[in-house]
Amino acid sequence: MTPMPEFSVIVGPQHPALKEPESFTFWVDGEDVVRAEVRIGYAHRGIEKAAESRTYIQNIPLIERICGICNVAHTICYTQNVEYLYGREIPRRAEYIRTIIEELNRIHSHLLWVGIAGHEIGFDTLLMYVWRDREVVMDLIEEMTGNRVSTALMTVGGVTRDITPELATRLRKGLDILEERTKYYEKIAAGESTILARTKGIGILTRDEAVRHCAVGPTLRASGIKSDIRADDPYAAHDEVPFDVITSDTCDLFGRVVVRVYETIESIKQVRYCLDHLPNGPIRIRLPNTPPRGESLSRVEAPRGEDIHYVRSDGSDRPARYKVRAPTLGNLAGLVEMLTSKGNYKVHVADIPIILAGIDPCMCCMDRTARFIEPSRNKEWVWTWDQLKRYKRRSGR
Amino acid sequence: MSLEAEQKLASGLKELLGDRVSDIKVQRARSIFVTVKAEDYKESIRRVIEKYGITHISTITGADSGPTVDVMPHLSHAGTKITFKAAVPKTAAEIDTLTDILPGAVMYEREVHDLLGVKFKGHPNLARLVISDDWPSDVHPLRKEYKVIRPEPIRKT
Repeated sequence: MTPMPEFSVIVGPQHPALKEPESFTFWVDGEDVVRAEVRIGYAHRGIEKAAESRTYIQNIPLIERICGICNVAHTICYTQNVEYLYGREIPRRAEYIRTIIEELNRIHSHLLWVGIAGHEIGFDTLLMYVWRDREVVMDLIEEMTGNRVSTALMTVGGVTRDITPELATRLRKGLDILEERTKYYEKIAAGESTILARTKGIGILTRDEAVRHCAVGPTLRASGIKSDIRADDPYAAHDEVPFDVITSDTCDLFGRVVVRVYETIESIKQVRYCLDHLPNGPIRIRLPNTPPRGESLSRVEAPRGEDIHYVRSDGSDRPARYKVRAPTLGNLAGLVEMLTSKGNYKVHVADIPIILAGIDPCMCCMDRTARFIEPSRNKEWVWTWDQLKRYKRRSGR
Repeated sequence: MSLEAEQKLASGLKELLGDRVSDIKVQRARSIFVTVKAEDYKESIRRVIEKYGITHISTITGADSGPTVDVMPHLSHAGTKITFKAAVPKTAAEIDTLTDILPGAVMYEREVHDLLGVKFKGHPNLARLVISDDWPSDVHPLRKEYKVIRPEPIRKT
């Protein structure tokens, strides 16, 4: 029998696994994935260039829209980066409020992921349960900031809204419900046969590979590396708020589920600690519109891992350069590794969606132009805004 | 805030790299900027990662600074961010790749190549990463010459 030739299967860019655009090419040998290639950029919006033409304050809503789910991580990273340029410390109360909203955001992101993971392995009951309970934290975020998703709480120099004692009481009540439910999911994650069968030994990223490919966040911690920006390079109130860095040495999807569930519990504890120890004082300081000349770097542990921003100021009211590296880009090289069969480790086509979902990818974060495709001519191109306007005038639309 | 540990690390780096370093600056707690010449870029980074056992590269920032483009890999050493800075002329934007010593740099070098047109010598595959495949090869969106055209308000007729 002659061996079957290698066959390539294209997955995406329409929503591979998650509802976000990204294109993969898989070379398959029967049911096994031999290697994978990734093509991103479908959601590239030119945010870094746009940031250069807006003032530091106007950039806050822009940076917030890099990503919906982890908007808090990006805005904290942005605002503290600009504060570093000024060389000013912000009030302690503001740092505590930032930590509270950041951890609430992490709880919502991790619960969302657990639901998606349930869906990808065909366990939709879990999705329904988890997403119902996630509404609790969404409501808390809404009560605190006025919005369910984009929080608009950060500003350069502090935060825009305070926490009243009544709100703190309601937050505590909500946290109790969340803790009870998360502990229940902890039990399910560790013992439910569907989850075990579909996650154990799947999507393996060994410790060495994770280090070599510079993986970040829960993906790295699930490969047994104790690395968390909150502990290693503390920001906001993380230098005071105690928490455990959760790791798992199973190096597979199961480890990624476990790490995220336990991290949710740690986050609940952190919010509680912050509410108990909330210092008194102002919630923001006023800073001049133009920061001094200089450059700065800031890191935040986003729900998906290390988020790093770079800013350069030329002494004007707009940044000369703003660079964002979202965690998903850091995990892509590791993802390609997970999708490659080697030796006894075989990647099956049916496992592709859950392995993709395993790093909790956020393409919009990662890509940050308009792209036109004309199928009849089998052509793809990118138009400038001017060309687009000319097209509009010509066609009278 | 005391910056003793950072000052110590900075003097250690200075000693290790000697006159390859043209400027070294402790920006704030756990953040150091080291400026090197483009020809010494790879050798300096190789020495530093070997001495300190650094395995993690956070990202590479490319920034337009007039006639040159700054290439800035951000390394992470025990929570401290060490940023190297090397300036390459825009007319001949080329620098050595880091992919053989830090495999994590693959995507980041492709991104800088895409958006600022810096070629990384020895990179295994410098294909387009974030912008479209048929984007003109001499247009680099994040260079200052590239102007963003502001949309005009829609006139109501």
